[in-house]
Amino acid sequence: MNLLQYVPGDSFLHKLNPVTKLFAAFLYGVACIVTQSVWVEIVLIMLMLAISTLAGLQKRALHLAKNLFILGLFMFVLQLLFVRTGEPLLVYNNFCFFTTGGLSSALLLSFRIIGTMLPLMLLFAITQMNDLCSALVKCLHVPYKYAFIVTTAFRFVPLFTTEFHDIEDAQKARGVEYDTKNFFKKMSLIAPLFVPLLISSLKKVDSGAVSAELRGFHLRTVKSGYKEYPFGLQDGICAVCILCLIAGAAVL
Amino acid sequence: MISFEDFSFCYMGSEEKALSNLSLQIEKGEFVGIIGNSGAGKSTFTYALSGIVPHHFQGDFYGMVKVNGLDTVNVAPEKLAEFVGEVFQDIDSQMVASVVEDEILFGLENFGFSKEEIKKRLEQSLEMLGISDLRYRQISSLSGGQKQKVAIASILALEPEIIVLDEPTGELDPESTVMIFEILKRLNKEFGKTVIIVEQKIMMLCEYAERLLVLEQGKLVYDGKSKDIVEHVELFEELGINVPRVVKLGLRLKEEGLYQGKIPTNVKEAEEMLKEVLAC
Ligand SMILES: Nc1ncnc2c1ncn2[C@@H]1O[C@H](COP(=O)(O)OP(=O)(O)OP(=O)(O)O)[C@@H](O)[C@H]1O
Ligand SMILES: [Mg+2]
Repeated sequence: MNLLQYVPGDSFLHKLNPVTKLFAAFLYGVACIVTQSVWVEIVLIMLMLAISTLAGLQKRALHLAKNLFILGLFMFVLQLLFVRTGEPLLVYNNFCFFTTGGLSSALLLSFRIIGTMLPLMLLFAITQMNDLCSALVKCLHVPYKYAFIVTTAFRFVPLFTTEFHDIEDAQKARGVEYDTKNFFKKMSLIAPLFVPLLISSLKKVDSGAVSAELRGFHLRTVKSGYKEYPFGLQDGICAVCILCLIAGAAVL
Repeated sequence: MISFEDFSFCYMGSEEKALSNLSLQIEKGEFVGIIGNSGAGKSTFTYALSGIVPHHFQGDFYGMVKVNGLDTVNVAPEKLAEFVGEVFQDIDSQMVASVVEDEILFGLENFGFSKEEIKKRLEQSLEMLGISDLRYRQISSLSGGQKQKVAIASILALEPEIIVLDEPTGELDPESTVMIFEILKRLNKEFGKTVIIVEQKIMMLCEYAERLLVLEQGKLVYDGKSKDIVEHVELFEELGINVPRVVKLGLRLKEEGLYQGKIPTNVKEAEEMLKEVLAC
């Protein structure tokens, strides 16, 4: 499953202005950073999962949470072993494995990672990349050039993967064994594919640029966008909620 | 309206000229078909029309190409884009958006049409190509033929005076191919658009294009009415281009002494011929 792919839907989350969604996701992450309490962190993650469930995204959210959990676990172990404040907790033969300070900061950090990443990644499930970019251009007057670069980069991800599979299939047809379990062997087989892949992608980018130019890319002005992204009542409500959340997180 | 004067072009780093000593004129409202073998320079010809050659593809440019009185060497491609719309051979690389609707909107937004005009043209072009149901689809999820239709729609929406298409029906089924040609015919007849199309299906060109250009290894080897190919059958055979089967049939019947009239170049004329042959 592509973790950044858009999931169509018409929940209250989908209907928000893309700019609101972006800032809400960002501020939700900020709330997870400002809080110093592991409990608040857990509540914030649970709340995020609950909100996603309401928007019909529980599968994606759980999948993401699982992936982020692995990352969190990794950070937890590192933090646990390297932070040395507070009382020693596990001592063996005079060697202290970890301390109370290490444990609490490790817990906080790993939950914080999950808490900040989750809303940002869920953002892509409820927002189309081009809507987000167009809205940024329309509402915040971000230069169109940058928005175009970002959308193009995102557009190339599926193109890149299909191209990669095409080349891989062609190689397989010639008897190259990609199904090997050995990671290093597999990498050494895949590495030579990157050059043709890169070349064909660069060619695509190049002719894409020509095509954009021939369709008046340079003539574009701020007023050009056809789609409007007005702010509504729901955006206001969302903003108020998120501000309360941050204030709450900072106080607790 | 379009004129090539002793035009030659050699891509940078390439030994041979992709096009050499091309001289021709295309008037407003013509429907021109271009055919030729792989590597004959058909795409290069279309690039010269839209100014991609020499502005994007560098190389040695000889002679002069004028479009609407503008020398393409001195005018930026964006300026030419106001009246030349080109559908590229490589459809994938032409796409600039990830959703069908945005692909068509892109050019319309850039050229600064009003909201109502954009809405009208967007819906019109989707409908014209019969892809209204694909409007909100991801382009990466479309079939080759569907992508081709989207690419054509995105250019036709701009309503350029000169419509250039480079093998636009390569991945289309026969029915859709006829549909595209019918659309082009209507734009040509009703709105006086100049249509220049590179196409491998000679039958379609004989049916729809009034004028036929044949390129072979960068040279223009035939420039005449598509109806007149009956008189140049040997040339076409020599070039390895199959003349339409109705032409062969007509020539064969004539050879056998069964038919004396005009050799047909399209199905309708063939029908007339067969009626005549079968009647006696
Ligand atoms: N970007 C390029 N750089 C160098 N040489 C090129 C480039 N593009 C095309 N050529 C060369 O120019 C010649 C004409 O190519 P062109 O693409 O115009 O042919 P074509 O008639 O469109 O062929 P096809 O039917 O395969 O599309 C070929 O010999 C080709 O190798
Ligand atoms: Mg070509």
